[in-house]
Amino acid sequence: MSQLVNETARIVSNDAVGPRLHLMVLESPLIAQHILPGQFVHMRLPDFESHILRRPFSVYARNASAGTLEILYQEVGTVTRLMPSLENAAVEMIGPVGNTWATDCSHALLVGGGVGAAPLFMLAETLKAAGIPFDVVLGAQTQSALVARERYAGLLGCEPCCATDDGSYGRAGFCTSLVEERLAEGCLADNAPYDYLAVCGPEPLMKIVSKMGADAGVRTQVSMEKRMACGIGACLSCVVDTVNGKRRSCVDGPIFEAEEVVW
Amino acid sequence: MASTPRGTNVNLAVNLGGLAMKNPVTVASGTFAAGREYSDFVDVAALGAVTTKGVSLNGWEGNASPRIAETPSGMLNSIGLQNPGVKHLVEHDLAWLRDIGATTIVNVSGHSFDEYVQVLEELEKTDLVDAYEINISCPNVDAGGMTIGTDPASVREVIGMCRKVTGKPMIVKLTPNVTDITAIAEAAVDAGADAVSLINTLLGMAIDAYRRKPQLARAVGGLSGPAVKPVALRMVWEVHNAVNVPLLGMGGISNGIDAVEFMLAGATAVAVGTANFTNPTATVDVINGIIEYCEQCGVRDVNELIGALE
Repeated sequence: MSQLVNETARIVSNDAVGPRLHLMVLESPLIAQHILPGQFVHMRLPDFESHILRRPFSVYARNASAGTLEILYQEVGTVTRLMPSLENAAVEMIGPVGNTWATDCSHALLVGGGVGAAPLFMLAETLKAAGIPFDVVLGAQTQSALVARERYAGLLGCEPCCATDDGSYGRAGFCTSLVEERLAEGCLADNAPYDYLAVCGPEPLMKIVSKMGADAGVRTQVSMEKRMACGIGACLSCVVDTVNGKRRSCVDGPIFEAEEVVW
Repeated sequence: MASTPRGTNVNLAVNLGGLAMKNPVTVASGTFAAGREYSDFVDVAALGAVTTKGVSLNGWEGNASPRIAETPSGMLNSIGLQNPGVKHLVEHDLAWLRDIGATTIVNVSGHSFDEYVQVLEELEKTDLVDAYEINISCPNVDAGGMTIGTDPASVREVIGMCRKVTGKPMIVKLTPNVTDITAIAEAAVDAGADAVSLINTLLGMAIDAYRRKPQLARAVGGLSGPAVKPVALRMVWEVHNAVNVPLLGMGGISNGIDAVEFMLAGATAVAVGTANFTNPTATVDVINGIIEYCEQCGVRDVNELIGALE
């Protein structure tokens, strides 16, 4: 395990970017310098003292030289519904926690459902820097929730493959049909078959895409998140059922080989 | 940089039923693993003791997920004593704790009276344990655990059996889920306990109204955190007035003043549990908080605080 720090981070900005979706930028030089694609931070929020547990957030992007991290979050529970009110506050973050996405591949397909688009972006940057061809499939409920689309387009130099549940942008329906097509046709750059599938999103999506990957014989990894207490591997709250027994999503994950997960 | 307690002229050393502790602060079993995970944050060897996660003879898988739920100023857990078994603990964790110079309390669990004894026998083969904490109070297992710790006759029997296999300091951890905790404490002391620790978690429940389901897979779990502190203080005070062995107090301790309150109620030492999740340096912060209180109030020896409630 790499060295963990508990860093006090100032919130630089905290803006609404879509329906119940917010982008928080934090000044966190130590973690920004060391965090790797797929790792997360375990955040203690100020002023919510009756909420004693930290919350894990994946990192969307980092700027190592500026010492900043970006976190894309969705309002889903009591704490994330309180978070948009935070301004100029300082939070404590344990990080960088967890393992990382694989990068030893030749053609990758990244599949992000909803806010699951965020933890894949640093992987996309890494693949781009390494000259490894990759494609991106994004799914969301509606166009305004496809908040990572433009950033991925900037990196790819073309539009990612998108689907919306209501058909307001891209393919109408779930993004799984786009994944199926991509796996059948191969990488957009050279039609070569993919040898790596990285998936993050709601568990039902990850389960379906994992099956597609297995059927196509493509190595598939998923990013799992469970309710977490310590976030550093001590409390055994966040375990994932795997063929190797119950594993901690915080430090044995969050990235798991899909074939090891017992869904 | 791992946090370490600051220097002081206050005597912090206490004796918990034969266990010499350099300061009165350990951790609540199950919140700290065997310390390694926290070693980036705190100097584990500087704690009064490390109390390891409950260990059974062979590995236990623990309960289904979700295993935790946050509740107002607290949390419920239903981990179910997941652990890889006593041999793994000895080889991987106890050896490491010895190497770093930590004082080690091993929390012992079992499904049956015999299993407690068998775990102790395995541990007695080593010289890696400074004291035992016998866990007859876990609310999250179907056999053993709290089912033993709520009945004075069972407590007397299992602790008597454990006493026969070890001469080391033996702390018995009590459940608060009883009508009269002093009767359980008296049974443990009668059977040979050198010290008593309390409280384990309070049985509780959380419900998701929209899904109309319990928040925990096992429906019920153990409540911990600041929410339970008044209950824990009351029980430490009651047990202090009932038995003549030292007490290890715990339940919602997050800072030095909380710890001092437990000592005033009668605890010789204290354990930091859920606070480790909120604040990974909570243990050292509590030690420093005790030092600060003593210096401010002219207390030269923490032992002066034990049971000093006026």
